[in-house]
Amino acid sequence: MDAVQFLQNFLNGISIGSVYAIFALGYTLVFSILGIINFAHGAVFTLGAYLTYSMAVGQFGIGGLLAGLQLPFQFSFTLSLLIGAIISGLAGVLVERIAFRPLRSRGADPLLALVSSLGVALVTVNIIQYLVGSENYSFPSDVYGDIKPAFMFHIGSRIVAIRTVQIIIFAVSMLVLALLGYFINFTRIGKALRAVAENASTASLLGINVDRFILYTFFLSGFLGGMAGSLVGTSFGIAGPYFGVTYGLKGLAVIVMGGLGSVPGAVLGGLVIGLAEAFVPADYSAYKEAVAFAFLFAVLLVRPQGLLGRSQLQKV
Amino acid sequence: MEDFLQNYGFLLVTLVQQSLLAMSMYFPLTAGQLSLASPGFYSLGGYIAAVMATADYFAPWRDALGWMMFPLEWLIAALASALLALLVGIPALRLRGIYLALATIAFVEILRVLCLNLEITGGAIGIFGVPQLFESRWGYIWTFGPLLVITLIFSSRLERSRVGRAFKAIREDELAAGAMGVNPTYYKVLAFVIGAVLAGIVGSMSAPFLNTWNARQGTFDASISYLAYVLIGGGRSLWGPMLGAVLLASLPELLRPLKDARLIINGVVLVIASIYLPQGIVGALRRLKLVTLDRFAVLWGGQ
Amino acid sequence: MSVLLEAHGLSRSFGGLMAVNAVSFAVEEGEVFGLIGPNGAGKTTLFNLMTGLTPVSGGSFCFRGMPLTGLPPHRIAGLGIGRTFQNIRLFRGLSALENVKISRHSRTVTGLLGGIFGSKRSRQEEKGVEEKAWEILRLVGLADRGMELAANFSYGEQRRLEIARALALDPAVLLLDEPAAGMNAAEKHNLTAFIREVRELYKLTVVLIEHHVPLVMGLCDRIAVLNFGELIAVGSPEEVQKNPAVIEAYLGAE
Repeated sequence: MDAVQFLQNFLNGISIGSVYAIFALGYTLVFSILGIINFAHGAVFTLGAYLTYSMAVGQFGIGGLLAGLQLPFQFSFTLSLLIGAIISGLAGVLVERIAFRPLRSRGADPLLALVSSLGVALVTVNIIQYLVGSENYSFPSDVYGDIKPAFMFHIGSRIVAIRTVQIIIFAVSMLVLALLGYFINFTRIGKALRAVAENASTASLLGINVDRFILYTFFLSGFLGGMAGSLVGTSFGIAGPYFGVTYGLKGLAVIVMGGLGSVPGAVLGGLVIGLAEAFVPADYSAYKEAVAFAFLFAVLLVRPQGLLGRSQLQKV
Repeated sequence: MEDFLQNYGFLLVTLVQQSLLAMSMYFPLTAGQLSLASPGFYSLGGYIAAVMATADYFAPWRDALGWMMFPLEWLIAALASALLALLVGIPALRLRGIYLALATIAFVEILRVLCLNLEITGGAIGIFGVPQLFESRWGYIWTFGPLLVITLIFSSRLERSRVGRAFKAIREDELAAGAMGVNPTYYKVLAFVIGAVLAGIVGSMSAPFLNTWNARQGTFDASISYLAYVLIGGGRSLWGPMLGAVLLASLPELLRPLKDARLIINGVVLVIASIYLPQGIVGALRRLKLVTLDRFAVLWGGQ
Repeated sequence: MSVLLEAHGLSRSFGGLMAVNAVSFAVEEGEVFGLIGPNGAGKTTLFNLMTGLTPVSGGSFCFRGMPLTGLPPHRIAGLGIGRTFQNIRLFRGLSALENVKISRHSRTVTGLLGGIFGSKRSRQEEKGVEEKAWEILRLVGLADRGMELAANFSYGEQRRLEIARALALDPAVLLLDEPAAGMNAAEKHNLTAFIREVRELYKLTVVLIEHHVPLVMGLCDRIAVLNFGELIAVGSPEEVQKNPAVIEAYLGAE
């Protein structure tokens, strides 16, 4: 691999890695607050993707119950992205209500919450499939308006191409990360969230309405998941509702690698896996899908707490 | 009778097969391990049988052994599953709870991607035209049926044995079990291997049953289905997984309009079961029995 | 009197905190050895180190001269060191009988195949396990409720059951972590008598963590005092009671 190819791979890797990072952060937020993994995260990812598509294109897709149904409106890509993410956030809140709250109020084993969120994911994805079919979708290339589809750079006699969508998703990811960082570290609500994550009972003693903050967290998590789904959808197309499940699993690899509960870890893990996938040699491109899981397995064996996580000491 | 078997034979055999797969998830659970690895071993077993039954390399074997080729396939599948389970299990079972579940998810995915791309597994298309052992689908009750009976007897005897006790102790409190002289890693791996071997054998029996085999047999989806069986039927009794499998796998068949909604049903089941029936139906029945017996005792004894 | 259990500069640190700091002592065969100290002094951590539940950061310990440092808990248990837990760790979903039977694991050998096929040897072994378990349940007075779930026993009964479970190990040393916690005066009295009784019966050596000072003074042959992870005194009850460092540790902790 020469320098140009390296650069190309690097750019590709950073781009997709930044989306993985946003997606993984959704997991991380819920994990910090509740100490469990929300298996329904992949479902809001899917939801966001389909919503953004529908709004940007002005109609529902080509399969399923709502095939070809026209929407009375069509928004610009940016607006669709935003609205899609907001609705996904609300979906996240719904997930909390259905799958997590009943279990929390019973003091049930956290593994059960895993299972119930898994159930919700399954139901959601299949309802989506029923409504819009399982075909592959591609966002039409004119969805971003008048911007060029790609930027070419000449290095010597070779060309390095950066697709516009890659710039968009990288820019959006960085923006979201920055806003999130600001929000969590510098706003009152953000600080309260951190307090709840640190110690929920103490936080409630301090007058913080823990339940409400859990809701905020799930909204934020859903927002991020939906946004990530839209970005991936626009970049690679939507490969049927189940693609959310696959990404959902990949997201797990990201957070385990970075360290469960660690925000910088999620970002680092996302970038690492994104880059690793991008550098898979062309001959083995079919194995790209396995890269994330190979990392997951390896990390679990060698350093379960991940790159930036703290090692869990068990109280005897 | 003939008609009935014709129409429902396939379903009945499938119910038995699904019960077996539920059991393959049950064994690690008896030692407290939530493993989602069964589909991986099921897939492996199926591929082994499919390859042995169709590849040219094995033609001389097939000619020499005739129908005995099938039991050989089962044996090889069992051994391969055991080996792979040891390879994967020994490192993975040092993990607890969610970490173990994640590791097994990763294992299944890696295996799936491998199977999608290797030549020997026929790539994305898989392997077609696996020779049949029996003439009709219903005939396979003679392989799956005895296997289920053997598995149930095995499980029952295991429960009452020293090894079964060790499993139970680990499930209750792994740390305390260690402090009382039980080697947790050894028994967790053993439970894992038992589950894996069962899944592998079922896979090798399923390849001729289903006639084709491909990477879609070993997916994350499948592990969710088996999880649903065990959850709804009850993960604390050896009858639970079977009950759950029969219920969930037959529902879409019995209620025709629900057929397409099978996965949605599975999902709903998972949500409801984990919230309202954490011990599963058998557990709920047990509690009910206690209540009823109590009442009776008052009626009979309280003269 | 020979030395049964010995710690040499045993240490355990968490981050920068020394939970146990270079603790050395020797427990002699047959004695009842008390371990006292204010809350957080590191007593339970010391137990966890000596039963292999917590890895050692420094130092070593040995049993009958054999080094145990680094061995996994099940091996240490198999060698003859049994224990109870400060927070009672019974197998709650299992019956009292099954709880006690578990401890026979390291004294038996039946494997998977033996258990499934029910060989003559495995059946005999199982019978032996059953008999021994009932014997111990009778000893602690819980035999009439052997089939009940451990979770359904009262707090005091659960403590007794935990001791029964530890006894079933056929231990040479019994480590009891606050066995009298939550007991009233009468129960504490019975417990003291019980410990003396089993020591006689099974020729045990007992190491006891306990907060109730009269119980410790009355029962123990020797006492070690820990404070902030360090051993500040070892000796007979009278010696320890008069030790100024000990007095200060307890008074200072008030």
